[in-house]
Amino acid sequence: MGMQRSYKCERVIERLHKKVNRQVVASLEACVHCGMCTDQCHYVLANPGDVTYMPSYKADKLRKFFKAHIDWTGRTFPWWVSARSLYTDQELEELKDTVFGKCTNCRRCSINCPMGVDMATFNRMARGLLVSVGVMPEGVAVVAKDQWEIGNQMGVLREDYIDTLTWMEEELQAEHNDPAIKIPIDKMDCDVVYSINPREVKYDPRTIADAALIFHVAGENWTMASEGWDMTNFGLFNGDDDLGGAVARRCYEATENLRGKKLVISECGHGYRSTRCEGQNWGQKDIPFAMESSVITMLRYIKEGRIKVDKTTNTEPVTYHDSCNNARSCGMTEEPRELLNLVCTDFREMHPNRAENFCCTGGGGAMSMSEYTPRRLKSAAVKAAQLKATGAKCVVTSCHNCVDGLTDLIRHYELGMKVTQLVNLVANALIIPERRHAAAVGGLEGYKILLADDEPDTLAYFETVLADHGAQVILATDGDEALDLARKEKPDLITLDLSMPGRDGGEVFEILRKDPVLSQTKVCIITGKPELRRLIYDRPVPPPEGYLTKPVSEDDLMLNVRKVLEHTHHES
Amino acid sequence: MDALYHLDTTSPLLQFAEDKLQIIALSFMALVYIFKVKWILSFKAGKERQAPTGNPRTTAQKGAVYSLFNIFMPWSMPSTRQHPFFYLQFGIFHVAVGTSIAMSIIIPYFPQLIANEAVIFALQVLFGLGCVIGLGRFIRRTVSPYIRAISTPDDYFSVALLTVWLAFAFMAAPNNRAETEFWLLGYFFLTAFFLFYVPFSKISHYIFYPFTRWYLGKTLGRRGVYPLPLNAGNEPLSRLFANTKPLEGK
Ligand code: SF4
Ligand code: SF4
Repeated sequence: MGMQRSYKCERVIERLHKKVNRQVVASLEACVHCGMCTDQCHYVLANPGDVTYMPSYKADKLRKFFKAHIDWTGRTFPWWVSARSLYTDQELEELKDTVFGKCTNCRRCSINCPMGVDMATFNRMARGLLVSVGVMPEGVAVVAKDQWEIGNQMGVLREDYIDTLTWMEEELQAEHNDPAIKIPIDKMDCDVVYSINPREVKYDPRTIADAALIFHVAGENWTMASEGWDMTNFGLFNGDDDLGGAVARRCYEATENLRGKKLVISECGHGYRSTRCEGQNWGQKDIPFAMESSVITMLRYIKEGRIKVDKTTNTEPVTYHDSCNNARSCGMTEEPRELLNLVCTDFREMHPNRAENFCCTGGGGAMSMSEYTPRRLKSAAVKAAQLKATGAKCVVTSCHNCVDGLTDLIRHYELGMKVTQLVNLVANALIIPERRHAAAVGGLEGYKILLADDEPDTLAYFETVLADHGAQVILATDGDEALDLARKEKPDLITLDLSMPGRDGGEVFEILRKDPVLSQTKVCIITGKPELRRLIYDRPVPPPEGYLTKPVSEDDLMLNVRKVLEHTHHES
Repeated sequence: MDALYHLDTTSPLLQFAEDKLQIIALSFMALVYIFKVKWILSFKAGKERQAPTGNPRTTAQKGAVYSLFNIFMPWSMPSTRQHPFFYLQFGIFHVAVGTSIAMSIIIPYFPQLIANEAVIFALQVLFGLGCVIGLGRFIRRTVSPYIRAISTPDDYFSVALLTVWLAFAFMAAPNNRAETEFWLLGYFFLTAFFLFYVPFSKISHYIFYPFTRWYLGKTLGRRGVYPLPLNAGNEPLSRLFANTKPLEGK
């Protein structure tokens, strides 16, 4: 009589049949047990003599039951190829210990296997099989639950997120004495929608502020989304494609809803891989916008002359740690180096590096699995040796998991190094132009501007500012008057309040856009009710050229007016 | 095709072993391989939707081709770069096995190709080396705790089979029917057994090789990882053959 199989084992086997695809089957069949991958894994190097850390040994844990159920030889002569099915929950626990606790899915063995066996990919699949029956480290369950239920993997609530952005905005404004520095939220039709790791909100808000400063100086038309802003994805770690797809879709849909042209992903290895590469596969979704890592964005700004940097502000010797996901799964190895050389005076390469770099040991979700911490820190000896050999005082990495993993191991091995990200170094090296005061904006002579607002104080304030700078200003106190004056005066720019008596701003805007004579007139929406912005953006006409939320400072008004009019000027 | 028998010196058993038996075995292997390929194709291939990342000079196709030929570039992987002697053994062993299979067709049908003493000598050197390497591999599999931990009966048997087969190939290479019929018979029977056995053993890895390498290469090519730049590890020469030594933990 055959052995009794537990319910969970039954389910795992059932799911195995559904999950394996051609790539995985080939990888599970192709291993020749040559052992060439053995000393390419950081776990093996740090635990000499312990065979249970060998990539192929770990892979065989899955391979055994794959062979027992799917491979012909394994099904017919199981003992000959050491095939063995799963029977007990205890065996599932042992499998969990291997696939979660002894492998970070770093893919280093995959690129070192002469057969091209992609261990990391099927290790992820094995995690997914276990997760489907609830067998996983507790931390993994908690994080996955947060990401399913709250929408981000650190359980950051919407109000905390918005508060942090506001706080950072205020800090930046105070620090640089410049109220024009903004962290826009849910701004429509931006060129860049910036997505981040919830860790930035919770533990490292400075990275958000640094990125905002860079966007500001670059003159970027950017925003952050109030929903779907988390570009990290625990689905990559727990092997759950459904979670991976749902999280990625959330992020893509936020950009689509805001009609963003590009989704920029802050520095996070697994977030970049999940959002930029895997998410579309898991979510079965094609997307209409571009995506790029913020590392590439920052490099582009420097190359295009949109920001200027002074590398002498970063003189400490630095080295760079390639996140496995960035380097081995997304090919992002050269851009960070190029950027580092532009913003630092003493960059020292770590060996080996790029696609051959060793894992920080915090990858694959390892930081959330506290039960394996001693193991993780032991295996980090390899990374510690790499870091020490560079003689650098600071290690730079483009990944939040790596920041945590490296910080932990640096403390453990007493290396006395700092860990930072490129965004921090770029912000530090940033040359911030003299604040563009309204006075410096230049005259508005020759421009005719129509102001439409039902609040007399607002009208008077805007009129004073604009007239002081030489503009010819015309005033309208309701929608109909605004339309009449627009037809008569043909202004260069119309500022529109959204809620006005008679026709509201949205209606006026649509009529203007549909009017053959006035359709090209520049429009700047100025509203105290941002929740009404859909009145504008949902209309089937081209969006306005400018958008401001009241209260509006003199600087903000002038910067926006100037931007819109400059745009007119360039076009003409 | 009729074999070019040396009718005067070839026994009917050897005639059968080197001709009919080989054809049957080869046909059987081909048939099972067709089923194997059909089987693997029956699994859906994963689809990649994302726009390419990484180095714009690479593409999925370039990555796949690079990946397929990766094995001929020992500098491209730390695992081969750091173990050049192992890589050399790997190369010789596989060339010896391939040549031995070719010889099983050359002997009955094109014996003139290996009639030259220098050629026979070269073959014997190759098979001899292959056999010694096979033996070494068998011993390594038995002695190294790492390799032992992952070895299955099939692994031991496969390497033993190939080693013995190469020994017979070494002895059969002179194709001297009068004096070495025993070795020729052994060689052809082992070849036939090998052909029957291969599809069910790990030796059939070369059937899967194009699949694993193609798909890995395609993904990594699309992601701008493959082809790896020559300076991928960027290791100074002094480190080329050394592994990173872990630091002592607290
Ligand atoms: S995974 Fe690759 S390198 Fe590792 S033992 Fe298997 S075939 Fe060899
Ligand atoms: S993927 Fe990384 S951690 Fe996992 S076995 Fe391979 S080298 Fe080791």
